[in-house]
Amino acid sequence: MPSLRRAKSAATRPADAEPDALASLTPTGPDASASLTPAELAAQRRKRRTGTLIATPGALYLLIFFVVPLGLITVYSFATRTSTGRTSLSGWNLNSYERIADDVIVGIIARSAWLAFLTTVLCLVVAYPFAYYLATRPPRLRARLLVLVMIPFWTNGLVRIFAIRFLLGSNGPASALSEAMGFGTFRILFTPTAVVLGMVYGFLTFMVLPLYVALERMDWRLVEAARDLYASGAKAFWRVTVPLTRSGIVAGCVLVFVPSFGSYVVPEILGGAKTLLIGSYVARQFQAARNWPLGAALSVLVIVAMLVAVAINQRNSANAERTQGVTR
Amino acid sequence: MSSDAVTSASPPGADAGVPAVELHGISKRFADVVAVDGVDLQIGDGEFFALLGPSGCGKTTTLRMIAGLDIPSEGRLAIFGEEVASWPPDRRPVNTVFQAYALFPHMTVAQNIAFGLQMRGIRGPDADRQVAEATALVQLEGMEHRRPSQLSGGQQQRVALARALVNHPKVLLLDEPLGALDLKLRQEMQVELKALQREVGITFVFVTHDQEEALAMSDRVGVMSEGRLLQVGTPAEVYEHPANRFVADFIGRTNLLEGVTEGPSAVRLDAGAVVAAANELAAGSPVALSVRPEQVRLHRRGEAPGDTPCLDGVITDATYLGHAFVYTVAIGPTAGASGTNAGERAATITARSETGSAALAAGEPVSVSWSPGATTVVAD
Repeated sequence: MPSLRRAKSAATRPADAEPDALASLTPTGPDASASLTPAELAAQRRKRRTGTLIATPGALYLLIFFVVPLGLITVYSFATRTSTGRTSLSGWNLNSYERIADDVIVGIIARSAWLAFLTTVLCLVVAYPFAYYLATRPPRLRARLLVLVMIPFWTNGLVRIFAIRFLLGSNGPASALSEAMGFGTFRILFTPTAVVLGMVYGFLTFMVLPLYVALERMDWRLVEAARDLYASGAKAFWRVTVPLTRSGIVAGCVLVFVPSFGSYVVPEILGGAKTLLIGSYVARQFQAARNWPLGAALSVLVIVAMLVAVAINQRNSANAERTQGVTR
Repeated sequence: MSSDAVTSASPPGADAGVPAVELHGISKRFADVVAVDGVDLQIGDGEFFALLGPSGCGKTTTLRMIAGLDIPSEGRLAIFGEEVASWPPDRRPVNTVFQAYALFPHMTVAQNIAFGLQMRGIRGPDADRQVAEATALVQLEGMEHRRPSQLSGGQQQRVALARALVNHPKVLLLDEPLGALDLKLRQEMQVELKALQREVGITFVFVTHDQEEALAMSDRVGVMSEGRLLQVGTPAEVYEHPANRFVADFIGRTNLLEGVTEGPSAVRLDAGAVVAAANELAAGSPVALSVRPEQVRLHRRGEAPGDTPCLDGVITDATYLGHAFVYTVAIGPTAGASGTNAGERAATITARSETGSAALAAGEPVSVSWSPGATTVVAD
């Protein structure tokens, strides 16, 4: 009799196992393995092993070239700088973190944040209409325009920034044009303005792409509905299009703000002595100033700021999925 | 208007004065397609009007032109006498219930309903009261703070209705509003929507591809095909007197028997019989005789009453539907009808009879008849 029952329950498990139905749908559940046959368990193990195997090279690479250096930076940030500029891995302390509160460093951080903010806002203002235009073209044209957007992204960044330096220089074409039009020569290079212009150019793609994705997914019937409900074109844009593309806006802002804040190459090439930013300042600690613990502490700070931004972005996209996975 | 269109004399509300919606020679061309082709239409104040046709017939484009979401390529368009063809949608006194509802996913039910009021500058307690009224009208009390994604399809549909009706539009446009609902809910909503229209007294223009829905709900129906308005009339007029072959075939089930006219009162069927059928066409015109399945009478061969026109045939299929039988009858030369002439072609007729009557079996020779008033002669 018991064996008969077993046979029956095995044959009719899917229909029979009502209380366990949910558990068996989620193989990770603690009770799930209990209801699996040996063959099913073996298949599951094989799948898991294959997964581990193919992930190994990538994981190793990240471990060696990302996690280890990050750990070292963190360790160094608590180390001591000797009077000769060497780093002594003893006498662990928080001195480097305390120095971050120095007026000079706070000023540099504030300036970096301010320029990163300006860059982000400018990128948004430039990129939104552009992404809107892209997303509302016929699909075939869209694909071609997107390639055009990506081309500068694939070319060498350093070359592009030097090109801007030439463009903005006091004997470059922009200045010549300004002089020819009677506005006098043009002094932008080596100012914060030049840095922001360069960063906007350098990071614009990071803004365009998430905005494009959000606008491309946009359900334009909602805009029609708004127009039908007495909204002018502008009101429909602010009340419907902007809120529904919020995830793209936040993602783009995070993607532009984070690299702008820590930017090193652009301020080095386009900025002057007066526009010292955090990226250059960190580099200086590891080079001329020979203060590795301070450089490390500042790096940790930048990384933490980045992690916060990424967390904001994660929450944002989760929110977007919740409110937008709807009525389609 | 297309030459074969039949417009019923006057819509119910026409005597009240200006029509709610008036289309004169309205056409819409997209790149290389003519979506709507010279539509003339008057919809009376307070009327429940259905635009009916298969997908791609131009009915939704017509509705969108009334809403202002598409601009006509040609023609005049008036809403309560006011020429609106070039007005943007936000200036027109009409609101739309969209096909997939198009509720704002980032707003609550109450915010969705209040949107139109806000856009017209109505805020504060006055707006709150109107939103509450509209919410009550569609029986959504208690749902005000939910997001559209937390509602069932039927509830979303009600929000879409409330969001439009709260603005007291002069005309409510509905684009397949019941299309996304399952059959049972759809039938319930048909009754409710009809009752709602009577309650609010607003002109409804309703787009659907479902002919049963159109017949059940509307005061008048306009049948469209390939951008043209083929016939406008009450459900009974359109069903009983289809203007042409397309309308006869699209509205309900019918038998279309090919033939040519023989004078004003007879049609010679290709299947080989001359039957009485009033028509106004020149003798010799190719036509089809439309006979509804429920109008077809079947008799065992030889038992037919002598006074009605009869065709002989053989039952090829009998289907039991519970409340009725549906028979397929082969008629014409191959069915062994008397005196086969050159040019006669076989045809089939679908007949429907109540289950109470004696069942006939496949293979049985029968005679088919109908009363002359039950048929309509239709040309292409």
